[in-house]
Amino acid sequence: MTAPSIPTTEKPPVASVGVLGWLRQNLFSSVANSLLTLISAAFLMFFGQAVLTWAFTQANWGAVTGNLQVLTWGRYPESQVWRLGVSVLILLVLGGLTWWLWRRGAESPARRGLLFGWAVSPVALTILIHGITLPTPATISNNFGYYLFRPDVLPLLEESWRGGAACIVIGLLGGLTWGYLQGRRRVLGLVACGLILLFLLPLGLQSEPWFFGVQVPILLPMAIDLLLATLVGNAAGRSLSNFEGLRRWLPWIWGLTLLLVVILLTTFDVGVARVAPVETLPIVSPNIWSGIMLTLLLAVVSIVASFPIGVLLALGRRSKLPIVRGFCILFIEVVRGVPLITILFMAQVMLPLFLPLEISIDRVVRAMAGMTLFTAAYLAEIVRGGLQAVRNEQVEAARALGLSEVLVTVLIVLPQALRAVIPPIMGQFVSIFKDTSLVAIVGLLDLLAVGQSVIKQREYLGAVREIYLFAGLFYFVVSYAMSVASRRLEVQLGVVDS
Amino acid sequence: MSDPIILCKDVHKWYGNFQALKGVSMEVQKGEVIVIFGPSGSGKSTFIRTINRLEEHQKGTIIVDGIELTHDVRNIAAIRSEIGMVFQQFNLFPHLSVLQNVTLAPIWVRKWPKDKAEQVAHDLLERVGIPEQAEKYPGQLSGGQQQRVAIARALAMQPKIMLFDEPTSALDPEMIKEVLDVMTELAKTGMTMLVVTHEMSFARAVAHRMYFFDAGQVVESGTPDEVFKNPQEDRTKLFLSQILTH
Repeated sequence: MTAPSIPTTEKPPVASVGVLGWLRQNLFSSVANSLLTLISAAFLMFFGQAVLTWAFTQANWGAVTGNLQVLTWGRYPESQVWRLGVSVLILLVLGGLTWWLWRRGAESPARRGLLFGWAVSPVALTILIHGITLPTPATISNNFGYYLFRPDVLPLLEESWRGGAACIVIGLLGGLTWGYLQGRRRVLGLVACGLILLFLLPLGLQSEPWFFGVQVPILLPMAIDLLLATLVGNAAGRSLSNFEGLRRWLPWIWGLTLLLVVILLTTFDVGVARVAPVETLPIVSPNIWSGIMLTLLLAVVSIVASFPIGVLLALGRRSKLPIVRGFCILFIEVVRGVPLITILFMAQVMLPLFLPLEISIDRVVRAMAGMTLFTAAYLAEIVRGGLQAVRNEQVEAARALGLSEVLVTVLIVLPQALRAVIPPIMGQFVSIFKDTSLVAIVGLLDLLAVGQSVIKQREYLGAVREIYLFAGLFYFVVSYAMSVASRRLEVQLGVVDS
Repeated sequence: MSDPIILCKDVHKWYGNFQALKGVSMEVQKGEVIVIFGPSGSGKSTFIRTINRLEEHQKGTIIVDGIELTHDVRNIAAIRSEIGMVFQQFNLFPHLSVLQNVTLAPIWVRKWPKDKAEQVAHDLLERVGIPEQAEKYPGQLSGGQQQRVAIARALAMQPKIMLFDEPTSALDPEMIKEVLDVMTELAKTGMTMLVVTHEMSFARAVAHRMYFFDAGQVVESGTPDEVFKNPQEDRTKLFLSQILTH
């Protein structure tokens, strides 16, 4: 018997590797394929030549370059544009740091700082882009003087929402403190909140037309706001009672809340005041937000805001409580049963009907609200799919360890569910980003609307192709970036899964 | 005899119209190792799952460590944190590393500081023989390793009772021994254990008492010697002859 011979390795046939091999395998593998290749090549050459010739010889790119400013930030005041720059810079820095830390993968205190940065960024960016009026010692003493000594002359009708908002903020704070702390300190917190509320009493004695024009002391809506906010705050505090870290943050939360109340109550013109408030960062009304800036803001706000709402709706739809479940199902099905454009119109036309006369929410904000709710309903269904994919054994294992239902959901179910549905979630985000162009129909000036007005300028009349090509390119670049980011996220998390 | 740590009296359980448990009674003393065996569908898994209330019983009483199982949520949480459970399919959390799997409950339920929880976790992983796998994810481990992590995860809560629901049934033959070794070691430390298993060699070596379940009832119970050498009931004899000839 001969020993089994090991086959010697041979070189692959020349024509199966290299450029030639690739060509043969992919483009000329059969007669039909070769024909197809030739036809496609001819078409590409013909089409490409036409486009390139147009782009380099005939196109009037001045329509784009000459209007770059109006296309990007529209009517945002020239002197304030630096605020947009700073906003973009903040986002770039936060994003870059996140990416860098993630690649290093190590636990570090920097991670906590970054989380804090992301958490406060929505507020910071809103203030930066929208502007803010901060109280000065003069306005504080002046306004508080009126609260304390002359509540009768406070012409609050225009600004009565500030009373309600202050009540909500204080209610949340008081409820949170009461639910989280134990013993004497929580009583102390409640007393402190009570004292602040006493201060609001003069505001509450004003009356205003409420439902069906009936005159009601503002105290009534304020009390309702307070009650609801306290309940919500208390529930949050109790469910966070296991979370030791909050104890260190509590003084900060108190400080910021009090600051917010002071801002709410002292930064408007009480009418009879001798000291008028001064805009610290000049207010740029959302009414004049336009161009790419508006497009991006609409997309970012509806993406960021819709995510938590969508998750809550998905969880609510699986709730055992019939009222919660019923509401979530109703909301999701109604919103999904209506086209986005209808919702945008509803938000513009119907929303004011439901709100008191004095509250006039800005048109841009209304569009944001409509898009947020629309996206949230779709996200809810996507997330529900992810929740169903989490095996029940996971829930049982977590329960058997003694985790409460809330912890089981937050620590075990949601992370697995959300990871499973990253691709469709990102798809929804890309879709809502492109759908922002619909707001042009309700009269907002997003990139497309501004583009259309540029075309109507006399010197660029007929530059339709240039403008639409520019807009199309912008949408494509952003959408593509989002899908690349999504894929990277999947790969990063997918490693964990294997 | 002192008070039993687990006292079950006339426990009934229905799934719809199907009766899974038909009046099961059992007393377990502290430090006892109980092996429960029987044909599939006999209610043995259902029974040990009623002890930490993954299943609710509809009739009868279950008292664990002096606390009766009722609908009171606090009650259930208190009991669950005293009972460790190991499942047939391991049920590790795939999105968390081995170390995170083990420290999760001590940190969130026992409120231990992270350092302490990790220290305990490392000690436990050492004890179950896989200290070097702490940073890996469950999907990167073999079945036997996963089950040992699951045991460490349950032990991290420092439970008074450990429940094992067919811990070796999903394992390849060469991995069964490594898990049984860990369980044998655990039994030697005086842990109270309820084990649903068909590993009769383990039962013979470690169990204090054995319960044979069939059709939702305890057919026969006794020490391993009594059950193996001198089974009283025909059903027990038949079942033993079937599994012991393999």
